[in-house]
Amino acid sequence: MKNKEEEYKEIFLAEALENFEEINRLLTHIEKNPEEKSSIHALFRITHTLKGNAGGMGYTGIAEMAHVLEDLFGEVRDGKITLNTNIFESLFKAVDVLGNLINAIRDNAEIKYKGIKTKLEVLIKKATETQVENSESSALAGATGLESSPFSPEPAIAGTIALPDEDEADTPGEADAKVSFSDLVQVPVRKLDNLLNLVGELIIEKDRILASNVSNGLNASNEYARLSRISSDLQYSVMDVRLVQVGFLFNKFHRVVRDAASLEQKNVVLKLIGTDTEIDRNVLQVISDSLIHLIRNCVGHGIESPEERKRLGKSPDGNVWLGARIDTDAVIIEIRDDGKGLDYNRIKGKALSKGLIKEEQVDKLTEEELSMLIFEPGFSTMDAVTAISGRGVGMDVVKKTMDSIGGLIKVSSEVGQGTTIQLTLPSSMAVKSCLLLELRKEVYAIPLAYTESVISLYKTDIHKAGGGLVATHLGKNMAVVFLKDVFDQQIEKSAYTTNVLQNSFDAIHPEQKLDIVVVNFSNRTVGFVVDKLLQQKEIVEKPLMKPVDRIRFISGVTILGSGNVCLVLNVPHLLNFIFSLTAHGKAAKNFTLN
Amino acid sequence: MAENTKTNATTKDGAHHTLQIVVFKLGQEEYGLHIDQIKEVVITPNITRMPQTASFVKGVANIRGNVIAIFDLEDRFKLTRAEDQTNGNKYTLVVESEDIKLGLLVNDVPNTVSVNTADLDESVGIINDASTETNYIKGIIKSGDRLIILIDIFKVIDQEMTNTLKKASTTALAA
Repeated sequence: MKNKEEEYKEIFLAEALENFEEINRLLTHIEKNPEEKSSIHALFRITHTLKGNAGGMGYTGIAEMAHVLEDLFGEVRDGKITLNTNIFESLFKAVDVLGNLINAIRDNAEIKYKGIKTKLEVLIKKATETQVENSESSALAGATGLESSPFSPEPAIAGTIALPDEDEADTPGEADAKVSFSDLVQVPVRKLDNLLNLVGELIIEKDRILASNVSNGLNASNEYARLSRISSDLQYSVMDVRLVQVGFLFNKFHRVVRDAASLEQKNVVLKLIGTDTEIDRNVLQVISDSLIHLIRNCVGHGIESPEERKRLGKSPDGNVWLGARIDTDAVIIEIRDDGKGLDYNRIKGKALSKGLIKEEQVDKLTEEELSMLIFEPGFSTMDAVTAISGRGVGMDVVKKTMDSIGGLIKVSSEVGQGTTIQLTLPSSMAVKSCLLLELRKEVYAIPLAYTESVISLYKTDIHKAGGGLVATHLGKNMAVVFLKDVFDQQIEKSAYTTNVLQNSFDAIHPEQKLDIVVVNFSNRTVGFVVDKLLQQKEIVEKPLMKPVDRIRFISGVTILGSGNVCLVLNVPHLLNFIFSLTAHGKAAKNFTLN
Repeated sequence: MAENTKTNATTKDGAHHTLQIVVFKLGQEEYGLHIDQIKEVVITPNITRMPQTASFVKGVANIRGNVIAIFDLEDRFKLTRAEDQTNGNKYTLVVESEDIKLGLLVNDVPNTVSVNTADLDESVGIINDASTETNYIKGIIKSGDRLIILIDIFKVIDQEMTNTLKKASTTALAA
């Protein structure tokens, strides 16, 4: 296997070559239809991307070339330069050199590009200068334009024509006559998903064969050792293909930060850490919007204005760190700023005024609990609504997104030092370690990410409290819920009968031993009483298909070795449901009292 | 009246076309589906029940590696089963459209019937259940002594989906 550096290089090369082809295509198009604005816009965009990518990879030559091309296209776009044959000639030459530079990454050839680059710079300089001069005296325009460009070695336009000749001697003139193929193949994610599905089925089939042979008394594990190994290798290879480096997403945030900072008139520097951390492409896609939001929040709310920072003895440039690292099965993404930190008093006040917490709760809440309040819907501490943040939507969406993929959010903050938001994400959405359990003769799976422990208690250990049940485990009190009772609740039933969560409890024998799975999600711990605990298993979770894709208790399905379907429980939704159920119960009671 | 529609259809089309209809029994009546909507007929596999679904959604099952929802149309249409058919739901009719795939439970192996387009009466006035918004009954086929109710299964499903959507949004609001 190739190392990361090589892989980066290959991907960059493939993208750059594609950009190069596109530039060529657009240029030829424009030459014929010079009026077309959209092509110029496209050229500007492509060169900009190329510049960014090359800069990130450390290919200064390509970056510089792309930069000067971007400038030129920018001027053309703004109408400061009109394209003529002369300029086109230089442009094509420049693009050829760019192509050579890109190809040179492969064979490390040395390509001279300064000449053509300078020529383009002069063209831009001239055009802009001419514009300025035009308003004063058009006669002097040419001369002043050239004289005031001390960094360009050419004394006059004549020099710029002479230089390309020298270039041509170095670079093969017919560079584009050779068609080059990239070593990379672009594959639509849909095809990868399909492949992963098939591999998942293969593994299920393998399990089935193994299971049936064990019962036949054959020495199945030996017999099928090779099959097992190959299929699991295949599974991991396919999953590996789906992994992408977070850098591809992170690098786009330079622009996000720049735009946000300039809107807020702040100076902010974005620093990336651990860009080579790999994560499932789908996870990255799902969280990209959330990350943009969090980053904008850092700039908008976290970082102070330059004056304020100077006053506090900080450097006027604010810093935002965006880092990623692997932690066993998960990928941790951290967004940190060195701004003012969370203002807990303000959060308290805001939460009170919005009715998110009650007066008597205020002093009991820990800082961690307070900071989680910012993820409640409708919460925003900024008094003024700004263009980039502070609409009061977003943070709750971030939370929801994280819930949907089984991610966790942690916030820590120090006044005056900054805020850190930590996202713990699953590195892959496809394979999950699960605990299989039986409930009313059906098999369900709970992702191990949510389970804390498995315990068994007697009925006498469990006590009725309020509308639910409570048990003590390892000195901690937790709510106990019979999963059956939860599944009995029909969503459409508007009136909740009281104490529904005690139904099964009342029905069981007093000496019965109960298997309980303790699950934990966002600081809520609940013990689920199940009929039977089965085993721990790695499963390939498939999404629910229409028309049952809106069932919220179930996040997906998997096929067991027996060929039966096993449902994967959606723990965040289940917990939300249980706690909203009790809230509803209260509401219903109040209603009848009135 | 029946004579009229028959002649009308014949003259309109100019020629006799035949329709391939898969016929199965629900309750006491015969229902038909256009053969294009049907992918296969399998012996009903083990069905895993789903929480949070209406009673006519029997659950999900694994059919050739695909996990699909299984519907009981008798329950959906509130039809009572005939007394003699106690060992029902042996077969599953797998229907498929571009974005939906699901199984329908049937008692017997469905048979295919070729009917003349002229025998399909689409204009028949059917008294609809007031709660249903779309009409999933495409028409009535009269073939010999048999009366087959031709339905568009995806209209039935569409209706369910919009209903659940509404429900989901109201619960979301309530939460």
